[in-house]
Amino acid sequence: MKKKTSGRIPAVIIAGLALFAAIGSRTFLGACVHEDGSFGTCHYAAMAVCGTALVIMAEGIAAAVWNNAAARRGLFLSALLTGVLGILTPGTIIRLCTMASMRCRTVMRPSMMILFSLICFSAAAGMILTGEH
Amino acid sequence: MTIRDIPIINLVRKPGRTAALVLLTAFLALSLFGGTLVVTSLRQGLKSLESRLGADIIVVPSSAQSKSSFKNMLLQGTTGAFYMKEDNLARTLEVEGVEKAAPQIFLSSLKADCCSIRIQVIGFDPETDFIVQPWIEESCRAQLGDFDIVVGSNVGVSTGEILRIYDERCHVAGRLAPTGTGLDSAVYCNMDTMKLLLKAAEAKGITHDIDSDDEDVISAIYVKVREGYDIGKVNSAIQGHTRKASAVRTKSMITDVSGSLSGVSRTVSWLIAAIWILSLLILLTAFFMIANERKKEFALLRLLGTSRRQLSSLILKETALCSLTGGVLGTGTAALMLFPFTGLIEKSLGLPYLRPPVPLILLVAAASIAVTVLAGSLASARTAARLGRVDPGIVLRAD
Repeated sequence: MKKKTSGRIPAVIIAGLALFAAIGSRTFLGACVHEDGSFGTCHYAAMAVCGTALVIMAEGIAAAVWNNAAARRGLFLSALLTGVLGILTPGTIIRLCTMASMRCRTVMRPSMMILFSLICFSAAAGMILTGEH
Repeated sequence: MTIRDIPIINLVRKPGRTAALVLLTAFLALSLFGGTLVVTSLRQGLKSLESRLGADIIVVPSSAQSKSSFKNMLLQGTTGAFYMKEDNLARTLEVEGVEKAAPQIFLSSLKADCCSIRIQVIGFDPETDFIVQPWIEESCRAQLGDFDIVVGSNVGVSTGEILRIYDERCHVAGRLAPTGTGLDSAVYCNMDTMKLLLKAAEAKGITHDIDSDDEDVISAIYVKVREGYDIGKVNSAIQGHTRKASAVRTKSMITDVSGSLSGVSRTVSWLIAAIWILSLLILLTAFFMIANERKKEFALLRLLGTSRRQLSSLILKETALCSLTGGVLGTGTAALMLFPFTGLIEKSLGLPYLRPPVPLILLVAAASIAVTVLAGSLASARTAARLGRVDPGIVLRAD
């Protein structure tokens, strides 16, 4: 059988992007910060996004270290589907603040959508590149 | 394999060189498309502000705070509430040269239990208004009854939903089209609704700094000057005729914004020019070095019977393919950076910012890619001509 590229590189990329998303969603790419310390719904969207990103990071690390090609493909598929969840979480599954000028809409939502889209793209590339042994 | 396949085979065979050329041309396309789009969006925003203001003169309370608050409200969507006596409207209408005068009342809600969101509320008189009504007609054709509101495009509520303002349930009758200005963050209602909301706000203990026992107040008067009259003279006349109010020419407000916009536009243009000059110099150097590296390759092709014209065309095709790939990549990256972050860019610039229509965006994208391909091809034209004239005997004997 023809041995193709292992697909470890997409796995590392996925893990890196997911870590960036997890840290970013709770810091510089995060939800609105209210002066009085209260939370809006966007705070919970940020927490959900962080959790989703951590799961994807674990999947990426597992795909990078696991030698079994079928298992790796399964992990990439899981990362792709979880990435779709990450795209839909802020704004669709969990509502954000009402005003379009708020930080959750101007910074958090677009940046998370881009990061999770890149994760989905990398996962798809990983599935294609993963070889058969 | 035919001679037509050679450009693609060459590009694939040298992935590092190809990637470098693609990245360089991508950078050219990114700067051109991105910069052009930002400047075009700013111009669209200014045009939108001019058409939305619609009046020649705006009369506001005379305190400096009111004037800057009004400007911030228009440009950045910050909330403001200032008032003057309603009789200023009648005084304004008495001035010779005033064709129309439409009052508005401003109110800002709170970020508190009484209100769904902190928002600017603007009340207008449908009988005399010539600013908001045309906008409503263009966008949603909503009819406003008591406690009916239309919302700006930045307010994330849908038609039919309820917005609580000082515990009054206001029904969203429509959404307005975006203007790229602070007006997108406001909600609009008729004067009856506004007066009820003012009373509801006072019941919540919110005072409105009204220097009058008279309950009837307004926040601004939009004035249209009759044709044939000098706007400056009418402005001065209104200034003299009204009490504790200032008349501001909208042209001066727009000139201020236009000045800031020109500054940003100039900076962006200089940046694009600098990036292009630097990148083209790097491209020219790169092609010169590639030419030296590939002399033997082209000498062999000449020996095999390839004509000079075919050789030149081969190089140009390679460059065009790299530039096209880079152009598409750069334009796509610029789109990915600009479109999702439109809100952030608008907020950061503090200027009217309105994305141009889709056909114009596509035209700018196509033009950016075309210019990038042309620039790449021109940068390699001299190299292509030189390599086409290579003498195989001299080159191969050089070893």
